[in-house]
Amino acid sequence: MRTAFFWTYLALVAAQVILGNFLNLSPYVVLCFLPAMILCLPARMSQPVVMVTAFLTGLAVDFTTHGILGLTASALVLTAFCRNFIISLVFGDEVIARRENVSVRKQGLPKVALGILLCSAVFFAAYVWIDAAGTRSFGFNFLRTLLSTLLGTLVSIPVAGLLSEEEGSIWK
Amino acid sequence: MPEAGKGYGLLNAVVFILLEITAVVLLGSTRGLQDIWLNRATHRVLASMWSGSEHVRHYFSLERENRELADENLSLAIHLREQGQLQLAMQYGGVSDTTAGRFRYIPATIVKASRNSLHNYIILNKGRADGVVPQSGIVTNNGVAGIVTAVDEHFCYGLTLMNPRMSVSARIGHTGLVAPVSWNGGRSDRMRMRDIPLHREVSPGDTVWTSGFSSVFPPDIPLGTTGKTHVVDGSVNEVDVELFLDFGALRFVTIVECLDRPAIEKLEKEAGQ
Repeated sequence: MRTAFFWTYLALVAAQVILGNFLNLSPYVVLCFLPAMILCLPARMSQPVVMVTAFLTGLAVDFTTHGILGLTASALVLTAFCRNFIISLVFGDEVIARRENVSVRKQGLPKVALGILLCSAVFFAAYVWIDAAGTRSFGFNFLRTLLSTLLGTLVSIPVAGLLSEEEGSIWK
Repeated sequence: MPEAGKGYGLLNAVVFILLEITAVVLLGSTRGLQDIWLNRATHRVLASMWSGSEHVRHYFSLERENRELADENLSLAIHLREQGQLQLAMQYGGVSDTTAGRFRYIPATIVKASRNSLHNYIILNKGRADGVVPQSGIVTNNGVAGIVTAVDEHFCYGLTLMNPRMSVSARIGHTGLVAPVSWNGGRSDRMRMRDIPLHREVSPGDTVWTSGFSSVFPPDIPLGTTGKTHVVDGSVNEVDVELFLDFGALRFVTIVECLDRPAIEKLEKEAGQ
């Protein structure tokens, strides 16, 4: 089942690359579900491994999408760094203590959606700020972060369902 | 469980920082905009560091700058006094002779000064080797500080104006009443102008200047402004003078030597005989 999770994860990265290359909705919106993927990484992975995974994922997406190496990677590493804090905040400390995976089935959709929202907010705040590089107004950056977070959360919910289904099967 | 303890938290932080640095370095090397942004941020940090060190350096060079400013102040004061005398002479139809030329000025720094006793003194870092002679005046731009009474090779000792034994000949306005000003042992920012005839009224707020009627101080050094008038023994008036000079903040002064003093004293002696 771990292999299945791995392939699902790779497929989702590929989907993100395709989205990034071919679906540009507006300058105010960045469509990205990578934060949800980081949130749903198996609980058995230690945080440093999660951060390295986030870094490599971000780098792969950067390399194949817009060629700005480090943009997605830095924002995603930050999200991975905040992951445990967000899990404790939304799902409780016992989820981390019991090493439970984040799953729609176990924790319920509202909590998972809230977790994704927070992860996306961290990710997009960093992403938009770094991407702007001090050249855009605060209003533009704020709106871009807000819209991207909301849309990204909506898109990420099925992604989280998909990943938790694959990983959740090892508990059956 | 490896995730417990400070070591794990430290490892997380180290991995996070390393990955972020790698990402930022990659970012800077692949995109010009981010490169400029990072450079700008770096320059901002460097600029603030340099500015801080410059402030420290500046702080420690304040002594030298103060000395330079005091010198510049002195030359400006001499120039101003010359101009003032010239203007007065022309205004009253006199000959345009420059009084400032009869005085020699030596900038000095206060080494020690007393302020809390009835007979206050001052020690300056200039002495006989610098050309200081006894009975020279000690002045600043804000007024008279004292008189040199004893001179050593490299230092001189003087009585400050905060000393009842010392008085300065002063004038109200540039052309008004002349009377001696001295300290009555009270507040350090207030003197008394004495021996004013009862029939002379002094309005408060007028500026009091040195009269120049002495062989110690040049004329037209501002001393302060007039205050309340007091009748003493029913025979004379005394007027408060609010000083411009703050004795507490005094550090740099100018020693003034009247070059004509020996000749004046000789003349006084001959006239007395």
